[in-house]
Amino acid sequence: MVSGAKYSPASFLSRLMKPFITAHKRYGTEWWILIAGALIILFMIYMALFPSTLAPYDPSDQAAGPQLGEPSRAYPMGTDNLSRDVLSRVIHGSRTILGVAFAAAILSSLIGIPLGLLSGFIGGIPDRILSLVMDSVYSFPGLILAIAFAAMLGPGVVNITLAVAVIYIPTYFRLVRGQTLSIKEELYVEAAQAIGARRWTILLKYIFPNVIATVVVVFSLNIADAIMTEAALSYIGLGLPAGIPDWGRDLSMGKKFLPSGVWWMITYPGLMIVILALGFTMLGEGLSEILNPRLLER
Amino acid sequence: MKNLLKYAVTRVFLTIPMLFILLSLVFVILRVMPGDPVAAMLGGHAPPEVIAAKREELGLNKPMIVQYGEYLAQLARFDLGDSMIFDQKVGTPIAEKLPATLELTITGMAFTLLIGVPLGAYAASRRRTGRDFGIRLYGNVAYCIPVYWMGLMLQLVFGVWLGWLPIAGRTSPRVFASLFEKTGFYVIDTLLAGNFAALGDVLLHLFLPSLTLGIVLSGIFVRLTRANMLDVLKSDYVLAARARGIPENKVVYRHALKNAFIPILTMMGLQFAILLAGAILTESTFSWPGMGRLLLERIRLRDYPTIQGVIVVFALFVSLVSLLVDLIYALIDPRVKY
Amino acid sequence: MRKSLAIFLVLTLVVGIAFFGCKKKEPEMTTLVYATTESITNMDTSNAYDFHTWELFQNINVALLTYAPGTTDLIPGLAESYTANDTADEYTFKLRPGLKFSDGTPFTAEAVKWSIDRVIALEGDPSWLVVSFVDSVEVIDDLTVKFNLTGPVGFFPSLVASVPYQPLNPAIYPEDRWINDPEELEGGVLTGMGPYKLTSFKRDEELILDANPNYYGEKPKIDRIVIRYFADATTMRLALEKGEVDLVYKTLNPSDIEDLAGMDEFKYYKMPGPYIRYLCFETSEGLFSDKRLRQAVAALIDRQDIIDKVFLGQNEPLYSMVPNGMIYHTDEFKTELGDGNVELAEKLLAEAGYTAANPLEFELWYPPQHYGDTEVDMVEVMRVQFEKTPAVKVELKPAEWATYIANLDTKQMKVFTLGWYPDYIDPDNYTAAFASSDGSPGMGIYFSDPEWDALFVQEQTSVDPAEREMVFEKMQKLWADEVPTAPIFQGNLHLFTKPNVGGVKIGPPLIFNYDQLFFE
Repeated sequence: MVSGAKYSPASFLSRLMKPFITAHKRYGTEWWILIAGALIILFMIYMALFPSTLAPYDPSDQAAGPQLGEPSRAYPMGTDNLSRDVLSRVIHGSRTILGVAFAAAILSSLIGIPLGLLSGFIGGIPDRILSLVMDSVYSFPGLILAIAFAAMLGPGVVNITLAVAVIYIPTYFRLVRGQTLSIKEELYVEAAQAIGARRWTILLKYIFPNVIATVVVVFSLNIADAIMTEAALSYIGLGLPAGIPDWGRDLSMGKKFLPSGVWWMITYPGLMIVILALGFTMLGEGLSEILNPRLLER
Repeated sequence: MKNLLKYAVTRVFLTIPMLFILLSLVFVILRVMPGDPVAAMLGGHAPPEVIAAKREELGLNKPMIVQYGEYLAQLARFDLGDSMIFDQKVGTPIAEKLPATLELTITGMAFTLLIGVPLGAYAASRRRTGRDFGIRLYGNVAYCIPVYWMGLMLQLVFGVWLGWLPIAGRTSPRVFASLFEKTGFYVIDTLLAGNFAALGDVLLHLFLPSLTLGIVLSGIFVRLTRANMLDVLKSDYVLAARARGIPENKVVYRHALKNAFIPILTMMGLQFAILLAGAILTESTFSWPGMGRLLLERIRLRDYPTIQGVIVVFALFVSLVSLLVDLIYALIDPRVKY
Repeated sequence: MRKSLAIFLVLTLVVGIAFFGCKKKEPEMTTLVYATTESITNMDTSNAYDFHTWELFQNINVALLTYAPGTTDLIPGLAESYTANDTADEYTFKLRPGLKFSDGTPFTAEAVKWSIDRVIALEGDPSWLVVSFVDSVEVIDDLTVKFNLTGPVGFFPSLVASVPYQPLNPAIYPEDRWINDPEELEGGVLTGMGPYKLTSFKRDEELILDANPNYYGEKPKIDRIVIRYFADATTMRLALEKGEVDLVYKTLNPSDIEDLAGMDEFKYYKMPGPYIRYLCFETSEGLFSDKRLRQAVAALIDRQDIIDKVFLGQNEPLYSMVPNGMIYHTDEFKTELGDGNVELAEKLLAEAGYTAANPLEFELWYPPQHYGDTEVDMVEVMRVQFEKTPAVKVELKPAEWATYIANLDTKQMKVFTLGWYPDYIDPDNYTAAFASSDGSPGMGIYFSDPEWDALFVQEQTSVDPAEREMVFEKMQKLWADEVPTAPIFQGNLHLFTKPNVGGVKIGPPLIFNYDQLFFE
């Protein structure tokens, strides 16, 4: 302690920093990866929640600047062919992609986790059948299924979220089921059963908490994946309708200006996708190293 | 050998229900899609009676179950059906375009291994150094790069700014594929025809799209190779090799890597699915006339049989590759009992 | 390590040989490579109904009458002359003697009758062009054929020049179905009577045409035309820049057109096209059955703004469904409703009860890919234009073409965009199809007014240009009042060639005669 007083600002600060420094000593670089990822995510979330505080123009403002203007001080990311400010569109676009990715991940987990728990716990024929179905979907290229779903459901925020969510249900299912199966064999579960604990209690008190740790990691990585899938769907043209700023679609619309030397319409939205996905990946990786070292080497 | 055969057969039997489930899923999805393929096919001016007659002719008015049953029966005869929009068998465009996708995918996989494996091995050998960290960062970033964005960036740099490489198609406009096309694999076809100018052209066109695929997927292999190598480098025989005075380079790249390779092989099989998905996006970006483009085009036209056919073929390939990899793994790794 | 090094060296060697190896073979024939993003639909005149496939058939086949290249003058084609009776419902054509199809089958009146009957029987997409006008075809003798029409048709000669009326070779085409690919023909080769014949066809990749030795007219100067199909405009533009293709036509991106037009190395042909884009309203039920709302929305459209923003100024604003440059065209929408006329729109909206407090909310439907991806930009610009008044709120609704077409039947789309390429060059084709009681439902517009129908009948059966002019002027005035559709712009056609290519003559009928092309 620097000074004797308990609540001095210096001691408060060092107390705040202490867990960070201890963590670094314990986990090394992984910790900083996690922090970096978390910072990126927090910044992006802020951008998604309060875009108007950062964006200099309205993303739909078709008189923001010159047509196809190069990046300059007034327009750091340039303007697009409808004279809209790319920076503002990029900032507002974060809301769309984060929203869809989050919603999709939550939806998949809400369906996949309980299914996995129950299936692993109950076992038997329903488990075998469900596993088979989930395995089939899991082994198939997710993007192709997402394309089929998106084409089937049509454009719209809700539909795209559904299309993206569906392909990740097997991920959670398999993970949770696997964990459930192994935990089920553990001694303390047997003991609990011996003393007559109800099945629900075992499920909720013993199995679920142990599963959570891995789920959190997968959740983060899942969001990264969902971001990539949503952007890919928009790029192909199966995503959201016009009128909503969207990184994937803006990227695809900017393609045709490439030979004219207009590089900023595709570079910046693409870069944002990379950074955002990277943020969640780093968070997930960092978490996985810390929570389960070497367990999730994929 | 007999045991291996039994293992193979068991695996095949496991694959069939998975394929079946996928097909059924796709079948249902397609029938529920909005939009009437018949109306679109007939151009939109057609009177309702003509549309109704065409629907009857195509068997779209039969109950779902009947259509499903007919479809399965067709598949059992290895018949993928007839296109609803064009007057052709579904198999025709697929057979035409499959080699294009395979050529791209295989070359992409080659690039992935060429980039990812050595980098991963190097990172493992320099564990916990700045270079290791840098390579791991590359691995993470590579995975997060949208493959189409990578493609566009490469097109921008090498195609537009530098003008070194072509950015679309399999051949230049003045190179007529019909002259040498035999198998559909242009690299092979041009070699067979002895047409080296065309071979050069084909290779140039193949380079950027497969490099794109390769880079984006290399991240996974960097991490995997590194992890496996770390384990292997701790093992006894590596210690023994070092004790015998074998230079570190050889220890890492010859002995250790060879042993770490088996799980990498398995991973190749699993990543094939991701590779195919990436191929669809790459084909779209590079105007590559493959199955991915075919799928997107036919989805737009609501050509159900062709869409189903493409997905069936994709699923088949994924299963085949995974089966092959499992068999090779069983063959190579003496620890696997079958 | 040594083994991999060896393999690496061999590979380098192979690639090296590939680069410096073979010399390019000298072409024995003059070849022109024509790049396009279009695609062929059906290889059969009874079902082909798109611009590019028609262009192909205009070079492989010949119609009874044809247009002098680059003009709107009808000249003899396979028919030397024709006569019409007083009531313009019987047309008799005298055919050129001594003509044969490439396989030796003689060309007679029988072939003409057979072809027309086939189009009617197969009920393909463009068959209405024949069925709506032709009752029956009679063979008078080997070289004389008579068309009995359903009623007086003043513009029948221009109809006869269109692709569905082209006589086909009865010896190779199946009578009972249309074909998609040349291999389905008897003999496997598409033989017509035009200046070029089809040598090979690989769908979506390339199509090779060679000069037809049996053509009765002047032999084309270019022996071989290779049409190369490109999946996207960007690659096509780069191919032209790199010199890999000789001619590029349809459809480049506006930015590519601007860049190429600015480069001296290429010849640039900009032609007024008869291609129009317009906004449609579902007029029979619901929100837009009130014509004031249709007028209001139409008044808010700012055409030049759309053209500048989305098309970099490369198209022309259109103030009538009848295109600029066509007979009887008037700029009615400009005088009546104007561009971006917010005051007029707000006044009309207020009359109908819509204000900023109670805005008019509607969905603007569009097909995101069918007309190219400029569509997405266009509707975004239009949305901003519509919402310039707070009394309007627009939601953009995309639908893929298959769904879009289905929606026309269900009346689900109240406000939607469409485009139109003409079937024949006459104002009738731009009007009756959308607003007559027969045609309107097929377009999802469902407009029906007996006064309008009477006007259509009047202009269709009249052979007096003055009378037709009066009818169309009246029609266009009515159009700006009732607004079943609101015209937006008329497309220009842009064609680029290498400097050594000459002979590009595309006139208002938009017929591209390949046999006029030559290398300087």
